[in-house]
Amino acid sequence: MLRASSLTTETEVDLQGINGKQGAASVGIEYGKNLMLLAEAIASRNNELLVQVRDKLLNEAGAKVLVDAVGVAANFQRMVRIADSMGIPVDDMETDLGIAVRSELNLSRFASAANTLQK
Amino acid sequence: MDRYFSYENCPYPIRADIQKEHREYWQRLAQPGSWWSGPERVSIANESRVAVKCTLCKSRKSVLSPESVEGSHDSASQLPEVAVDAIHRIITDQTRISQSWVAKLPKNGLSTEAYVELAGIIVCVFSIDEFHRSLGLELEPLPVPVEGSPSQYRPAQAELGTGFVAMLPKEGLTGPERDLWPNGRSANVIRALSLVPPAVKDWLALSSAQYLSMEGMENLVKQDDRSINRMQMELIAARVSAINECFY
Repeated sequence: MLRASSLTTETEVDLQGINGKQGAASVGIEYGKNLMLLAEAIASRNNELLVQVRDKLLNEAGAKVLVDAVGVAANFQRMVRIADSMGIPVDDMETDLGIAVRSELNLSRFASAANTLQK
Repeated sequence: MDRYFSYENCPYPIRADIQKEHREYWQRLAQPGSWWSGPERVSIANESRVAVKCTLCKSRKSVLSPESVEGSHDSASQLPEVAVDAIHRIITDQTRISQSWVAKLPKNGLSTEAYVELAGIIVCVFSIDEFHRSLGLELEPLPVPVEGSPSQYRPAQAELGTGFVAMLPKEGLTGPERDLWPNGRSANVIRALSLVPPAVKDWLALSSAQYLSMEGMENLVKQDDRSINRMQMELIAARVSAINECFY
């Protein structure tokens, strides 16, 4: 969806931000580095990093951005658990966009890829 | 339920729709469900909070095969052991849940329907708890459960073939489920919990506040009442998914 959104807005982004590359997260995305680090701190339950990044994002972008960003991260902490506990496959593996993104990010390294690739 | 989620002492401005959805979910959580009673549903919610600190889960997470580590979960409930194990796995090690493990649950005393409802409860509670934890807020006290019997309602059209459990089909829903798919959308992630239709409605409602509604998802630029644009949202979503090693 990041790629789809960037195409819609004709914005150049670097998807390697998804894999944790800080410089890449900032390309085309305002506050990208700290948004990415916030997501990382929440999902990895790294409380030390979480406190640091929360303060940085608050100072850089303000409280409303922090709250909305935390909401999205909390939401996807749920979504990944729905997907994996129910073993759902990716809906459409044939779209050019999906194929390119999965390849660029090397997503097949994840164990849960089996829920799709072994179907 | 107004006594819950007041956010009175919160140092950050919590949007009213987030507060509303958190409160409404707490209300539904306390009620009898499809396969679990109100007290059981609240116990399941509480167990999800214990799971994040469970010693056995930490040990299992660190080895190649979780089954190779024996022991008991740190547990705070009277729920059946098989339910406690399911809760802990979904919270702490969801990426290694397999079809064969889910298929054995009924033999071990947890019906597939009860597993789906259990999963629906803990993912919603977990996401609300994660919202609080991430903002440095105390976890909300769990609601007082409402007595009553589960409905034991199973949608007739549920069928196997997509994931580990039976789900409603993408098209042709009838009867009480005819309007379950929002705007006719039936992506697998929406269908995932549809063996227990209220569980689908629960996560869609929460998602509409914490992230975007199904209608809002069609806007790939920026929703007016959000302070971050869609690219910012999707960077966060994708990084969380990557850390969780979620292929979907």
